[in-house]
Amino acid sequence: MRRRPAGGRALITGGQASLALWFALPLVPVALWALASRWNDSQVLPEEWGPAGAGSALADGAAASFATSLALGLTTAALATPAGAMAAYALAFGRLRGERAAALLLLAPVFVPPFVIVMGVNVAFLWLRVPPAVALALVLMVTAIPYTTFVMRAALASYDIGAEEAARTLGASPRGVLRRIRIPMLAGGLAASAFLAFLVGWSDYVLTLLIGGGQLVTVPMRVAAAASGTGNHALVAALSVAAVAPPLLLLLVINRLSVPRTSRPATDADARERADTELTGASA
Amino acid sequence: MTSSVDLVAASRTYTGAPAPAVSRLSLHVAAGDAVAVLGPSGSGKTTVLRLIAGLDVPDEGDIRIADTTVLGVPPERRGIAMVSQSPRLFPHMSVLDNVAFGPQMSGVPKRQARQAAERYLDLVHLPGMGRRRPATLSGGQQQRVALARALAAEPAVLLLDEPFSALDPSLRADMHRLVTELRALLQPTIVLVTHDHQEAALLADSVAILIDGQLQQHVAAAALYDRPNSLTVSRFLGCLNEVPGHARAGRHVSALGTIDTAYPDGQADGDAVLVIRQEAIALTRADDPAANATGCIERTTPRGARTLVEIATTAGLLFAEVQPGRRYGHGDVVGLVLPADQCVVIPTASRTVTAGQVPASPVPSGR
Repeated sequence: MRRRPAGGRALITGGQASLALWFALPLVPVALWALASRWNDSQVLPEEWGPAGAGSALADGAAASFATSLALGLTTAALATPAGAMAAYALAFGRLRGERAAALLLLAPVFVPPFVIVMGVNVAFLWLRVPPAVALALVLMVTAIPYTTFVMRAALASYDIGAEEAARTLGASPRGVLRRIRIPMLAGGLAASAFLAFLVGWSDYVLTLLIGGGQLVTVPMRVAAAASGTGNHALVAALSVAAVAPPLLLLLVINRLSVPRTSRPATDADARERADTELTGASA
Repeated sequence: MTSSVDLVAASRTYTGAPAPAVSRLSLHVAAGDAVAVLGPSGSGKTTVLRLIAGLDVPDEGDIRIADTTVLGVPPERRGIAMVSQSPRLFPHMSVLDNVAFGPQMSGVPKRQARQAAERYLDLVHLPGMGRRRPATLSGGQQQRVALARALAAEPAVLLLDEPFSALDPSLRADMHRLVTELRALLQPTIVLVTHDHQEAALLADSVAILIDGQLQQHVAAAALYDRPNSLTVSRFLGCLNEVPGHARAGRHVSALGTIDTAYPDGQADGDAVLVIRQEAIALTRADDPAANATGCIERTTPRGARTLVEIATTAGLLFAEVQPGRRYGHGDVVGLVLPADQCVVIPTASRTVTAGQVPASPVPSGR
């Protein structure tokens, strides 16, 4: 086995710590401001602690915005995840004609600026009298599909479709295969693509502004409005925390769920050794 | 419950492939029998199993299970189970739930299905492993679980697709013993696909040799090496000796001399090749009256415990595989004994068995 050079471990640990600091440091002032009632620029820490920021945010209607953003995020995830999964499955196993063209088309919303799509689509939605919330959900779904499709394509690259065939020969119907084999085996990929789709809906600003036409006020819109106008740092910080908390919580939950239950497959030698140990133990 | 399986002139050509994967294949597997489909890589063996399983559809011909056509019947309703080279255990289920999967799919309540699964895990010598995750098992153990899972579904036909080829030799021997044990106990109908002729001879009642999608010969396993019906089959089975000449009155005449051969009755006279396996040739003293020919040793190559000896004869190079302890050197002159019952004569324009033809050697119809 190759040995790590002396000091290598310390270097890696140092690198990891620096990276963690790089991500965490910008959040520290936000977290402090969210809990501060008064903080003078000349002071290192807030002079008074309290929920003033949260209070201002609630008074400003943040709860309703939070609910709107949450609904948009969840709707986008609920629509774009199955659509992306089906598209990825068709691209991976469907033996499609023009597979490359279909893949490019699915990727199009990523390289076409969103307002270019929206300006045309919005006119159509207005003409068809589609309610803004429905119109926004549909457009966000299209925007999220490239992410869900390509995350699922990556997940399907390591997916053994032979397991589905094995299940069929063991008596599972196509529906049984979907429920008992495909969805559970792709759960990690599905969770990751649902998370990305949620983020698209949760953090959107431009599309909500253009399509929602001011009727739909989301957390990012409130953060932007507060940050650009009020000068109330505690309010901006409280809204920012509200914007960061749900994705962060979701990420932790997904991480927790996708931790492998085993570190590595056993070898035949391991198995024999274990069997010997078990036998010895049993006879002792 | 066991059922017979029949492929009736079944063909399958994949899109874009220059030749059919399986061409007008007819094969009968009696209920309770084990038939090995033996062939090199790419010969269409796996396609045969996929056609029987319903995972693929023949372009023409019929697939019958228990004398009933199953064309149009989905895999889950054919009463089959398949074990492939990769165990394909479901990683999100425990070992016990993997084995209980088949019974559960056929409507057995979870608790009873798990009890049945415990019994099948005992059968494959993995008692108490039920709570484990598949990833914590070794390759050999995973393949045992795959076998238990297939058996727990109580299939009418068990399909084995090179199930032991990824295992090391000692584990493979263990699995061979296990399959023999399970056959004696459960008597399932088995169609085994393999490229290993020793495995085929060991596990099956009869062996169907498939080369380039065509059935070359279907022969009783015990007679696998005795009577190849073509040079293609002889070469595939690893026979190194071919002596061109002609058949006359049940004997083979060539530069080697006149050699008595096996099965002389009904053999037509004409150009023919004498084939004899290297293990069948015995080396003796050059002046031994029992010797059919003499030759000079060109080279010796160790083959495990035995040695492969190359001998220059009047008919060209011949090969003999000799037992441990016998030592020969370059230039030694030896006599070659070619036992008549091991000498097979194949007409130069040897035919292959095609769909519907009677196999060259009798195949047992029952057990």
